[in-house]
Amino acid sequence: MYRKIIKRSLSNMRDSYLIYILACSFAIGIYGILLSIGDSPSVYIALHWWDSFIYDITNIMSSLFAFFAFIYMIYVGGFFVKQQRNEFLTFEKLGMQRWVIITISFFQTAIVQAVAWLIGLMLMLVFQKFMGMLLFYLMQVHFNFGMYLSWDDLWLIFQVFLISTLILSVINAIKTMRILQKKQRRTIVKTRWWLRIPAGLFGVVLLLSAQVATLYLFKDMRTISYSSRPLMEVAYIMVADIFGTYLVYYGFLPTILNVMEKMRSVSYSGINLFSFKYMKERLFQNISILWFVTELSALALALLTFCYFGYQAVHQNYNSAYPFELAANKDTVKVIGGELKKSDAKVKGSYKTDVKINLVSYYSKSSQSYIRQPMTFMSYSDYKSLPKRMRKYNPKINGHEFLKIDYNSSIMYHNDSKEHDIEVKDAPMIQTAKQGHSFPYGSSMHFGPMMIVPNKYYKNMPSEVKDTFYGWDFKKGDRLSKQQLHKLGNYRDAYYMKVDFKSSLADSTIEVMKKEPNKYEAATYTQAGFLRQGNLKKQFRQGGGFYLFIVALFSIALLVALGSVLTLRILLRDDYQSTQLRTLQKIGVEESEIKGIIRRENTLTFLIPIVFALIQSFAAIAMFDFGRHISKNIVLIYAGYIILYGMFGVISFQVSWRGVKQKFKL
Amino acid sequence: MQIAVKNISKDFGRKRNAVHAIKDISLEVDHGEFLGIMGPSGAGKTTLLNMISTNERPDHGQIVIDGLDLTQLHDRDQAKYRRNKMGFIYQSFELLDSLNVKENVILPLALNRANKKLIEERFNYMMQLLNIEKLSDRAIDELSLGQRQIVAAARALINRPEILFADEPTGSLDSKSATILLNYIQMVNEKEKTTILMATHDAFTASYCSRVVFIKDGVIFSEIVNPGNRDKFFEQIINMQRTIGGGDYFNVSKNY
Repeated sequence: MYRKIIKRSLSNMRDSYLIYILACSFAIGIYGILLSIGDSPSVYIALHWWDSFIYDITNIMSSLFAFFAFIYMIYVGGFFVKQQRNEFLTFEKLGMQRWVIITISFFQTAIVQAVAWLIGLMLMLVFQKFMGMLLFYLMQVHFNFGMYLSWDDLWLIFQVFLISTLILSVINAIKTMRILQKKQRRTIVKTRWWLRIPAGLFGVVLLLSAQVATLYLFKDMRTISYSSRPLMEVAYIMVADIFGTYLVYYGFLPTILNVMEKMRSVSYSGINLFSFKYMKERLFQNISILWFVTELSALALALLTFCYFGYQAVHQNYNSAYPFELAANKDTVKVIGGELKKSDAKVKGSYKTDVKINLVSYYSKSSQSYIRQPMTFMSYSDYKSLPKRMRKYNPKINGHEFLKIDYNSSIMYHNDSKEHDIEVKDAPMIQTAKQGHSFPYGSSMHFGPMMIVPNKYYKNMPSEVKDTFYGWDFKKGDRLSKQQLHKLGNYRDAYYMKVDFKSSLADSTIEVMKKEPNKYEAATYTQAGFLRQGNLKKQFRQGGGFYLFIVALFSIALLVALGSVLTLRILLRDDYQSTQLRTLQKIGVEESEIKGIIRRENTLTFLIPIVFALIQSFAAIAMFDFGRHISKNIVLIYAGYIILYGMFGVISFQVSWRGVKQKFKL
Repeated sequence: MQIAVKNISKDFGRKRNAVHAIKDISLEVDHGEFLGIMGPSGAGKTTLLNMISTNERPDHGQIVIDGLDLTQLHDRDQAKYRRNKMGFIYQSFELLDSLNVKENVILPLALNRANKKLIEERFNYMMQLLNIEKLSDRAIDELSLGQRQIVAAARALINRPEILFADEPTGSLDSKSATILLNYIQMVNEKEKTTILMATHDAFTASYCSRVVFIKDGVIFSEIVNPGNRDKFFEQIINMQRTIGGGDYFNVSKNY
């Protein structure tokens, strides 16, 4: 008989269980895949230079993932026990012993978990190769990912299954016991308008003030390096958003529904009389869940924003630092050229630019001090003759303007203000120069800033040192062997410049030394002989691919979890609420009108969290996209998230309506 | 004649497990008639009522009301017809707990998007008619069972339905509340000329009707017309009940 009871309970809530099981299976599948990918021999062979990094990260991520999935299971699993409240109480009335009911609940949970694990493991086996290939694709590695599952991983998965299922089943059994002890059939929510109205209004004030602070943050974020104001604003926005949203859910939204309900012209029209009250009741029940989902959605959007801007910043910084795959100067070009001929390198493009090195003096706004240092000068026409990507991240200049290219102190925040009054030894003072951060030939080829000057200025200016930079791009890398690289190691530094600063710039001089000085002094600068960045670029791309893989997995998992929580919350109505819908049908309410109530409920449940999450995530954009228009890509990322989230809403509505229709035989 | 039920039948379940709830029943009801449907539990009273009120579709046969064959209507049109022309009183009241008394009563008018003034007028009239003015702002939870059924009656009647369906309206009430309710229903029948179809297995309740049909095992067993004297009618009903309930060889319907 007990088997029949369990079977019938599972069958009665099959739609809800199906959603729960699929969400759990997805989480279990991802957990297994992350665990097994870290161990996979294919990953080890294809990405050997990453050493144990991938193994460590996938292990940490899989543990994190398992932890959050477990929290989700505890939370959502409780919905089902709550749904069976009346059933359990009836069993007890019929004389079934408490321990039997608790045991039924225990086994019911265990069976559902076992099914979820079974499907999850099957998903893991089916999709492991696909996910592995996706990882390789994102990391731009051409390698065949072989399916692999070690005994250790399998044993670990089995242990996690046993322990988690046992804990979950015990938790649900305890919840059942509490239901049987309390026996309260329906909890009546106290409206307490005297508290809700002021709390709701305060919530609105908090949210609005957070938005005003966000607008200020757009402006103030650039001062983060020297002012505590942006951080204060961020802290305030977070607190105001989190608490404001809860208070709005607690007080403001129910108040609006209440006001609409009191407006007879609105509420006396059609089904509104019922639906406002129904909506309000559901809202009261779901405040915590809606708030929870809102904050997690905001977190997901904020994570996506951080990831996007972080990736962009690193990518941009990388591009501005290492533009050529291989760069050299006049001292090393012969040796490098010789080695390239020996290797199978296919040169795609080679470039050559003359530069002058001279002494300069100016007041730096960013460091707020006077600076004297050697600076590399390049003519405007030479700068323009380099590939476009070298200039892509620098401000545009014309033939009469100056451009100072300097290191960027922060990878996130660019200081694009102009520099003024730069004194150059034996040359006219540069009145105004635009500022950029993208070095042609790479920042590591320089010891200091670079200046792009008009051709005439370049031609007439004297120089302390003259040099020529060379750069190469290749098809499929420079193909330099280990031995060749070892040999080239001796040419890493081309020469050293010892600067003798006097009180006047005109009297200061640079002494070029071929041999490395014994003692490094403050005024000694090193000119790099060559720079090999192709390999680094490859690793950078692979790292980016791995990062995208992890972020995408986590974002989708978060989305699945949030969507399923909301869907289950909608599906698992109280018997009392179902009866009300049935009564409406009995007194002649049309099918389309009942469908309208379900649609409204569904729309509100899904729409409210995403709207508030979007409002909150605006602050995340402000932290990175300050002072500029909102990036098109971030809009696309958000749109993608909303579309996926919306799909959950649509599915939820369809399943919910189907459930109601079946129940009422509409 | 307002309602003509022609050879309707209804089965529940499938194939071997099928239960024949209604078997080829035909029935006619006049305008303003107060018809009682009686029979033992499981006889098919509620099923018959549900089919006439379009809450369920018959497997076979026709239900014609005012010349309109309701079985041919789409679900949506049936719901509209139900809402505009019919009122319902159920044993379990079927009141919406989330709404207060006033909101429950005016719901049918609100569903029809009647104007505010009409809603208030009809509500006040109905509350006066049924003598429940004091209850209007009360929550459903705060009412006694008798009061709940009178509120349900008010809701059923506010739309001035042409036909009122009452399924065991006194089933959950004590005798005093039941008498009050039945007096109201009779008053409405006489004053408003509303046709009433009431399913019951209680002889006292049925004695308020102008005619009572008895069904047993899904077929009409017999019918009695009120002779004008309630006590006599009550006795006739009791006798008929005794006949049906006896399970005598001769009382088993031929169609069984």
